[in-house]
Amino acid sequence: MLCQSCKKNQATTHIKNIVNGELTEKHLCSECAAKQGYSNVFENMFDIGSFMSGFMGEPSFALATEKHCPNCGITFSQITKSGRVGCSKCYDIFYDRLLPSIKRIHGNTFHTGKRLRKPQLESGENSKSEVKTSSKSELELLSDELQKAIKSQEFEKAAQLRDKINALKAEQGGNQ
Amino acid sequence: MFTKWYEKNGKDGEVVISTRVRFARNLEDYPFPIRASANIKKEIAEKVKDAVLNNNSVIATRFSCINMDNIDTGKKVSLVERHLVSPEFISGNEERTLLLLDDESVSIMINEEDHIRLQVMTEGFDLDKAYELASRIDTLLDERLKFAFSDRLGYLTQCPTNLGTGMRASVMLHLPALRATKAMRKIAENLTKLGLTIRGAYGEGTDPVAGMYQLSNQISLGISEKTAIDNLKNITKQLIAQELKARNAICSQTVIQDRVYRSEGTLRYARLISCDEALKCLSDIRMGITSGLVKNISLDTINRLIVEIQPATLMQSIGKNLEPSERDEERANLIREAVL
Repeated sequence: MLCQSCKKNQATTHIKNIVNGELTEKHLCSECAAKQGYSNVFENMFDIGSFMSGFMGEPSFALATEKHCPNCGITFSQITKSGRVGCSKCYDIFYDRLLPSIKRIHGNTFHTGKRLRKPQLESGENSKSEVKTSSKSELELLSDELQKAIKSQEFEKAAQLRDKINALKAEQGGNQ
Repeated sequence: MFTKWYEKNGKDGEVVISTRVRFARNLEDYPFPIRASANIKKEIAEKVKDAVLNNNSVIATRFSCINMDNIDTGKKVSLVERHLVSPEFISGNEERTLLLLDDESVSIMINEEDHIRLQVMTEGFDLDKAYELASRIDTLLDERLKFAFSDRLGYLTQCPTNLGTGMRASVMLHLPALRATKAMRKIAENLTKLGLTIRGAYGEGTDPVAGMYQLSNQISLGISEKTAIDNLKNITKQLIAQELKARNAICSQTVIQDRVYRSEGTLRYARLISCDEALKCLSDIRMGITSGLVKNISLDTINRLIVEIQPATLMQSIGKNLEPSERDEERANLIREAVL
């Protein structure tokens, strides 16, 4: 499909919108999409597929032996093509290959927000007692990260972590 | 009937029309929607419905359940116009179900891009309230549904852009003066550097109708919910101050006063008015009210009209399909009665 705006390039961005009471779909190439302000917005209405494949690198020739996610059956080429991951297990199976794009999108690769379950602890029967928005474990995790960063002399990262820890401590102090 | 969030004016309502917090969540044991068959999606919808409707929280009984396959296009579009669902949610695809709280402040979209999109809306500027309610519902649902979560990557989502907190927090801002002084482009560029993004809330592209903008966080991994919300809060406060300052400056100009009063005249007397023209006039009046130029019209009324004049929502309230010209007449009637 050709871009509706320039009518030259292949349309890769599909924007769903409501215009005058009707659902419309707009098909744009990445250049025209950027011009119209859709370049850095990751909203649901924005098809990020082609953008992601740019991030993840073009899939090499799809081999018959290409690895499939044992849970949902998707291959890494299919993920890069659609920009969408197949299931939660994919993030384990393709972790190393997804990581560079995750890093590029977020500038980070480690979650520091809400945790309902303690790390490494599979919630079984005692899951109920584990349920809490634990900012203590967040603090512990950050401290671990900080020690690691200092050891490996990543001082910029360490400074960021220190600021995060201080902010979190101040926040907890304020809550008590 | 409850007063809806879009029918009233809230905190910092001169500039902030509404606040939204949404979480993307998925059930651990099921493939994401892109890899899920209709039957699996159906199963997911049943599970989520059960978890929302049959728990012993006080709000459980206040949800209604809408299967998107069972309602007509007008109703669907009106849901988008009221910001209760995304355009994506109504664009086909089977087994999409909406759970909506009676006052329309909480909507749970099932089988959108993720299994669950939980959204809380409030009037005015109230990120803490919206976040807290969203987080409470999220915790409650996790006990029943067990969300896909990884120690390293946080909540796992179909699109990697939502990893981590899975949270997108946003405020709908009315910035007519900053728009008039051509400051928006520069502001938008700077916001990107701060991990936030701003875009037009109505109309398309970067130059929105009526000076309505949506400001939201862009990054969800490696930043806690609290930090993301604090960032958004700080920037919003700065934008509020800048906008009010700009309004002060421009509203003493005759050319701006003329525009505001012409818009007031149009809304009070027009017999036919398009949606775009109405939005533009409502925007002018909104600015006029907060600058003391326009009297006897409340911001509640303006906020309510901004939603009610939208084509599909207008037809829903009239109860039948109308041609555009008929709509323009009904819209003019609706507005005249409201601003009397």
